Amino acid sequence: MSNSESIKRKVTPERIMLVTFLVVSAVFIIEPVIESYPDDARVFPQLTAAAVFIGSLLLLLQNYLPGPVRRFVAESVSITSSEDSEVVDQTETDQEQLEDTEPEAEEYKKDTLGAKYGFEVDETIFMVSTAVLYFVAGWAAGFLFVTPLYIAGYTLWFRVNPVVSVGLAVAGTAVIYLFMTYLVLPFDQGHLFDFSPLVPMLFDGAPILLRGGL
Amino acid sequence: MAVDAFFEGLSIATTPEMIMWLALGLLLGIVLGALPGIGSPVGMAIVLPLTLPLDATAAIILLVAIYSGAMFGGSIAAILINAPGTESAAATTLDGYPMSQNGLAKNALAIATTASALNGFLAAIALILLSPILIEVVLAFGSPEYFLLAILGISLITIVTQGSIVKGLVAGALGFMISTIGTAILSPRPRYTFGQFGLYEGIDFVAALIGMFAFAEMMKLAARKKISEGDVEIAGSVRDGITTVFKYPVTTLKSGLIGMGIGMVPGSGATTSTFVAYAEEARSSTKDGRFGDGDPRGVIAPEAANNPTVSGSLIPTLSFGIPGSGSTAVLLGGILMHGLQPGPVLFGEQLQITYALFISLFLGNILILLVGLTLIPYASKITELDTTLIIPMVIVLSYAGAYTLNQNWWDVGAVIALGILGFYMVRNNYSIIAFVLGIVLGPIAEENFFRSLQISGGDYTIFIDPINQPLSFLLSVAIFLILFGPFLKGRVERTLGRN
Repeated sequence: MSNSESIKRKVTPERIMLVTFLVVSAVFIIEPVIESYPDDARVFPQLTAAAVFIGSLLLLLQNYLPGPVRRFVAESVSITSSEDSEVVDQTETDQEQLEDTEPEAEEYKKDTLGAKYGFEVDETIFMVSTAVLYFVAGWAAGFLFVTPLYIAGYTLWFRVNPVVSVGLAVAGTAVIYLFMTYLVLPFDQGHLFDFSPLVPMLFDGAPILLRGGL
Repeated sequence: MAVDAFFEGLSIATTPEMIMWLALGLLLGIVLGALPGIGSPVGMAIVLPLTLPLDATAAIILLVAIYSGAMFGGSIAAILINAPGTESAAATTLDGYPMSQNGLAKNALAIATTASALNGFLAAIALILLSPILIEVVLAFGSPEYFLLAILGISLITIVTQGSIVKGLVAGALGFMISTIGTAILSPRPRYTFGQFGLYEGIDFVAALIGMFAFAEMMKLAARKKISEGDVEIAGSVRDGITTVFKYPVTTLKSGLIGMGIGMVPGSGATTSTFVAYAEEARSSTKDGRFGDGDPRGVIAPEAANNPTVSGSLIPTLSFGIPGSGSTAVLLGGILMHGLQPGPVLFGEQLQITYALFISLFLGNILILLVGLTLIPYASKITELDTTLIIPMVIVLSYAGAYTLNQNWWDVGAVIALGILGFYMVRNNYSIIAFVLGIVLGPIAEENFFRSLQISGGDYTIFIDPINQPLSFLLSVAIFLILFGPFLKGRVERTLGRN
């Protein structure tokens, strides 16, 4: 096995998550010392951060721990029985997870607009990326204007019937409009672009336009 | 006082407005529960911010109705397409789907409706009768006990989910840690805000719930195709299904008791109770059972256990603030969001709200029976929805709901960040219930932790003093035994075996 393959095997999502926990909990322990938090603001977060730090460190290093400690960290336990518990080798679990997920991904391949042009993206990655883009665009230009684009874009990518796609986009925008109207939320205003002057024309004027058209 | 509160609760629960919220919640719950991958925690988490304009009682009744409706709704997909809408309906697939394949889908759905509603109805009565005892127990608890209860809840969840105990504890402690972001509870000092004004109010626990349940669940759902691959034919007889439940009264009642009993244990929940009820029925019917091939008792047992689990799980949630499942964690979030305090307040000065909730549960089960039986011929329509249509709508509602809480973009960001975290936590067997419990209970635990230290003058032995704080001592012993008991037991057994 080459070095890069060995590193790739070791850098699993769980290990990345545990390292993140270690870094964040270390910040939670150090920050009150640097900023001189009073006792009543400091003790509880530091205690909980210490628990996260120690736990994450033990999980990260479980394969190198001595027998009894390793058993405590890795064993699956149950109130009723200790007989069927087992110590799991982290490397084996990681490998199993990799093997488990690959055929699953194959099984759930969806027909997408990208695939038609030879551009394939994992469904979960596509979902998260578009959700992040929707958040950023909503912050920049206001959810009211971005929502129809997001819904139509997402559904059309998965080759949903365009009529259904547009219908869903209209329904989603109506939900945002209701939030904006009844809960008085500034969903028509973005932090970078302000399209709010268009609202009376697009929404309040729509019934008038419809009546005129009829 | 309890009798007055009961009648006040009755008058609240029977107003047309409350019955409307109850019916709406049940319908919503049945539909959400029938959609595999959505289920009650996702539905409740999305609806939670929308309840902000409602008064506390209406909001809690709506949430409990969604929870109760989803318990029944989960069985629709389990029976028709072998894909449980909720985890609690997984046991129903074992005999429900074979019944459907044998041309008895209507019978199976009618059995599920009747058993679910009948036992939910009986469990709600039991809950009302049990409440005077609960009031006595709850009022005996003070600050040290409430802090220890939060730790006990996380410990129990860790052990009931049967994963690595350290993973469970890390998840719970991480939840506690994140709950400390923002202005400190006891002194007006901003913590871990790094100069960001938007973080002064901290990360709203409702946003965390939306992220952990709705966003993370959509990430899982993204990799799935249509919920139902083909046309589902609904054959059989509703009337025969109803009478089947009454042919097995022992199965029905026994499963109900199992459901309520397991529901009362913090950290367990309907997934455990339905499988235990199913296993017990299969064990006690070895002579004539055809379990796995479409035995109606295989549908009665889990369905008769699931709704009593809702009633059972309300006991630790309302009395001690310890939810037993994702749904009760969201419910607890709703209770706190509306300014209600589980424990002495809900069982003291606001006892009428608690009774209104119990009575709504009772009425809700009558509605489940009526709505459920009416819905049977149309049930398959729900399972034909495409996940591609569900995901963007849930994301839109999640963001709008999270922003509604405090008009804070950090809450929307938290939905994404915690959603991604939740997705990987579930994938690697970290308990998200323990994490969510940590976030929801963090402020309560911190407040009670400091109050206890103020009472003791900074002496930590207040949590383990057997003379002056016997209840705290017992809780500390229970936490120790839960966390280290299985290892000590194993060591003792090995030592004895060697000798």
